[in-house]
Amino acid sequence: MDIDRLRVLQTIRLKGRVLPADLPASAGVDESNCATITQDFLTSGMAEEARGRLKLTTAGRERLAESLATERDTIDDRTVRDLYAQFGDFNTELKSLMTRWQLKTADTPNLHDDPDYDRAVVDDLAALDARFRSLLARLVDTAPRLGHYPRRFADALARVQAGDHSWFAKPLADSYHTVWFELHEDLIGLAGLTRLEEAAAGRAE
Amino acid sequence: MMVPTSTVRVQPILRDGSLTRESAGGKAWGIQRMLTLGIPVPPAFVVTTEVCRAYHAGGRALPAAVLDEVRAAMVHLEDATGRQFGGTERPLLVSVRSGAAVSMPGMMDTVLNLGMTTAIQEALATETVDPAYANDTRRRFLEQFENVVQTTPPEDPWAQLDLAIRAVLDSWHSTRAIAYRRSRGLDDDAGTAVTVQAMVFGNLDDASGTGVLFSRDPLSGNPAPYGEWLPRGQGEEIVSGRADARPLDALAAHLPSAHDELLAAARVLEHDARDVQDIEFTVQSGALWLLQTRSAKRTPRAALRCAIDLQRDGVLSVAEALDRVSAEQLRALLRPSLDPSAVSASPPVAAGKPACPGIATGVVVTDADEAERRADEGEAVILARPTTDPDDVAGMSAAVAVVTELGGATSHAAVVCREMAVPCVVGCGVDTVTALAGKIATVDADTGTVYLGELPVRTPVAAEDPDLVLFAGWLRDALGDSEADVVKIKERHQQRGGL
Repeated sequence: MDIDRLRVLQTIRLKGRVLPADLPASAGVDESNCATITQDFLTSGMAEEARGRLKLTTAGRERLAESLATERDTIDDRTVRDLYAQFGDFNTELKSLMTRWQLKTADTPNLHDDPDYDRAVVDDLAALDARFRSLLARLVDTAPRLGHYPRRFADALARVQAGDHSWFAKPLADSYHTVWFELHEDLIGLAGLTRLEEAAAGRAE
Repeated sequence: MMVPTSTVRVQPILRDGSLTRESAGGKAWGIQRMLTLGIPVPPAFVVTTEVCRAYHAGGRALPAAVLDEVRAAMVHLEDATGRQFGGTERPLLVSVRSGAAVSMPGMMDTVLNLGMTTAIQEALATETVDPAYANDTRRRFLEQFENVVQTTPPEDPWAQLDLAIRAVLDSWHSTRAIAYRRSRGLDDDAGTAVTVQAMVFGNLDDASGTGVLFSRDPLSGNPAPYGEWLPRGQGEEIVSGRADARPLDALAAHLPSAHDELLAAARVLEHDARDVQDIEFTVQSGALWLLQTRSAKRTPRAALRCAIDLQRDGVLSVAEALDRVSAEQLRALLRPSLDPSAVSASPPVAAGKPACPGIATGVVVTDADEAERRADEGEAVILARPTTDPDDVAGMSAAVAVVTELGGATSHAAVVCREMAVPCVVGCGVDTVTALAGKIATVDADTGTVYLGELPVRTPVAAEDPDLVLFAGWLRDALGDSEADVVKIKERHQQRGGL
């Protein structure tokens, strides 16, 4: 399966149910190509539409699992695991940033009424993003399918920095946290691990 | 104040000492403060920030005389404890901690029980008559040292200490610490201190043990001190919540003078900090040592009660008391809660960490698609997952509550639920909540508890709560505002600069 098709298929799976209009940006595939691919998946029974949203069928999930296994065969296992271990440190840092964004103390939510507080967290996110870029580039070198992630992170960060803070952590949209969550899921898969094992080890709760 | 034997670079921490936060770091400064208040704290010395600056200026070389000074300062710990560092007769173990004037992430964490070797493990096993404890202490030391110092500890205790001190000094220039200082505009040349403190043993004999003490009850705010005591327990074990922990009365009956001294220390510390204190202590052969004190975490009820009582006791002014209770805490006090009688009649079926507050009842579903479908059909569903995947998010948004088996308060499930204000409890344990599939359950995400069945919910009334009535009156007087709603007026107070 070519990279664009695999990206679209995996994006539908990561989103669970996705509006067709949101797919091109999330999958990093241009609109017309994405529409062709989506139509093809619908025709061949790999995806189905329910109340205006796309989801994978069982056949689609199986095909996705096969294609991801094939992809993994082309990638050096040790390199991926090494990169994934480095991702772990950034992940811990990102999670604590998310907590700071949402909570001022363990039981005081951040009501986002203190611009200085929010700015400090956004600055720290930008600093983390800058330091994370070189690892992300190496991840993309190793697994070219991940090539749409740099753009997705950059878009989310740009929106946050432009003052639309919902792009920090909003679920069901490509906020920084959503993109991170999906990248993490991709890396767990590429490293041949499962989220359950990783959560039990305290790395992917 | 005369400082005996040591030069300025390595200093014993003493009562009435003149160490500054800049030169000794926050941790050593805190120990000095406690000693000055007459609080018994295990003896300690500090390698000052000057050493850190010299170390990095010299290309990561420790000035030659520093280790001699460390050896000299160790005598202070040995004299005070009657134990010997590296000795196999009554061995002294120490903790090593980083400590900059401003605490920051990325600095080296604590190494406990440093000085441990095969021979010392045997000596401790004999002394404590507890080979399992000695074995466990050594194992934890090995793990922590390897983790933090990134190398296997040598068998020579002095070489261990040398490596740990260097690891602290190196961590000043860790990537995270540098990034943190840059983002806060902190001085890159300030340096960190290294605090070395004697470990005390709560498991030495029948007159030993360890515990925690709150200067007031952190749940109810009741002014009587509240604590737990674990006879022959050793420091790192978390006392709180252990089945064999005893109430404080057991300490009073068994070791009355240590108990009285502890309560006196709690009063001094509370008065000095002007806030409720959470204190960790150890009794070693009848002698009380305080290991740590900090402002106590407390329930919203306790926050209100303590603010009012501390004002009555003359510790706080009314204006200060108003700053001690947030609008969020008042809101939580007025939030619906489960009927206490129903709660006591129905034992919890699962418990984890509260990640997003709220109470909800629904049918437990373990599949995100099914949760979404049944929610669409008008059912109240609780989504129970071992852990959450990205494609669970749609199901989470449709659920009245989310509970997970693995993961902590910073987990993806927690982050996502907080964004969507869905009550969430995380980390309930493997095969706990998913085993409830198909059953009706009530999730109390304020406390992190799951009950079977539908439990009745009670909504508090502000006018029936004397503490709230008093606090609202203070707020109205302070602001010259006639607003009746205590949460609204507290929000106005915060907008005008109140805390």
